[in-house]
Amino acid sequence: MRIGRSQRFDQARPFLALGVVVAAWLMAPIALKTLARASFFEMTAPVVAASSYVNDLQKFWALRLHSKDELIEAGRDMARINAQYSLSVQQTVELQAEVDRLGALLKMPAIEGYRYEHARVAQRDFSAWWQRMVIRKGADYAIPVGAPVVYSGGVVGRVSEVHAYTSIVQLATDPGLRIAAVVDGDTRPISYQGGDNQVFGSPKGLIEFVPLDVYASTSVPKRLATSGLGGVYPPGLTIGRIVHVESSADGLFKTGEVELDPRLSELTEVTVLVKQDSL
Amino acid sequence: MRGAVALFLTLYLLRALVAEANNALSGLHVWLFAGGLFVTYSALAMPFREGFAASLLGGLLCDCVSPVGFGTHAVLFAFAHTVVFNLRERLQRDETAVRVIVALLVNLGLFFTVTVLRMRASHIGFGSWPRLLSDLFWSEAALLVAAPWFFALQLRTLELARAKPSRLA
Repeated sequence: MRIGRSQRFDQARPFLALGVVVAAWLMAPIALKTLARASFFEMTAPVVAASSYVNDLQKFWALRLHSKDELIEAGRDMARINAQYSLSVQQTVELQAEVDRLGALLKMPAIEGYRYEHARVAQRDFSAWWQRMVIRKGADYAIPVGAPVVYSGGVVGRVSEVHAYTSIVQLATDPGLRIAAVVDGDTRPISYQGGDNQVFGSPKGLIEFVPLDVYASTSVPKRLATSGLGGVYPPGLTIGRIVHVESSADGLFKTGEVELDPRLSELTEVTVLVKQDSL
Repeated sequence: MRGAVALFLTLYLLRALVAEANNALSGLHVWLFAGGLFVTYSALAMPFREGFAASLLGGLLCDCVSPVGFGTHAVLFAFAHTVVFNLRERLQRDETAVRVIVALLVNLGLFFTVTVLRMRASHIGFGSWPRLLSDLFWSEAALLVAAPWFFALQLRTLELARAKPSRLA
């Protein structure tokens, strides 16, 4: 009997230890857990940053293998694109001055300005549970939590965590991210949410509360853009293309599917928009 | 606790390698989960205290880079460690094949547990299951290939740290 009881206690001892550890963790103060989380993250951050720098170095040496003729050709093509963008910048400056003049005339509140922080993507983490990436700028560049992140094709996502010299960006494909959006040419707000990202497939999102008179299909897609509501994203940034809409169960609105840019899975550099009053 | 520290270093390397693999596979929307490897060797080969500490620290390492409550992976890994530790006397735990099978089963259990915990936050519905099953398939396949190498690495690290456990542990 005593040997049996002793055996049962020996078998239960690991579970008792587990219970004690779990109870101690549940009762631990939040500050301790926050400190522990930050400490463990900063312990892993050097490896993430180092591997990112090694990848950049690898690409640099690969580019050095290009012949001078190829580089001259690429430089010439870039010069044409740069000239186009320079003209666009001049037009934008003129338009901005006109907007400021009209805003002053009509006594309208000033439009928020942004500081652009360009950051290299260090690591991507695209599971079925979450879609995130690590960028190589953080508190050292005054990146705030919640700042919108964009690229040349439109919205990337938003900053969800900021650490010492890295930040975590929650992608537009993350099922937990919602954005207030509008259909191109329409002002009625609809809700965008990251959707299922199937293996070997292109990234997708979902839309809800779409007005009943909006039609879109794969052959006639409609551009989905940020509405500016909520003050997180500036208005007019491309989210994706609406490729399918259908009536929702209640019949009051439509729901639909959004096709996102495949480049979202391959980004190497993004831009964080930091509001000017956050400086 | 030298054994725990030595194992933690191997788990640090494992996490970094898995993160790099996921980074490389991100364009194909394939994601690998290797939770089973964080627990198996510690639970099968080490004394309870050292192995438990290593599994717990490995879980915290996974928690700090995931958008889950800090301690979620740690508690799950600790629970899996305790269960495997309790069952190990009934297994041929010195055999690599047995260790690999245990790693595969633990990985399967942890994957489904995390999926259930994330059901609400990640809006996991019927449409998410093809992706989840695909990730699980590729994770188990990668684990099958990498587990023997990783167990050998852990054994060698313990030998270098002079913390290799005796058979009676």
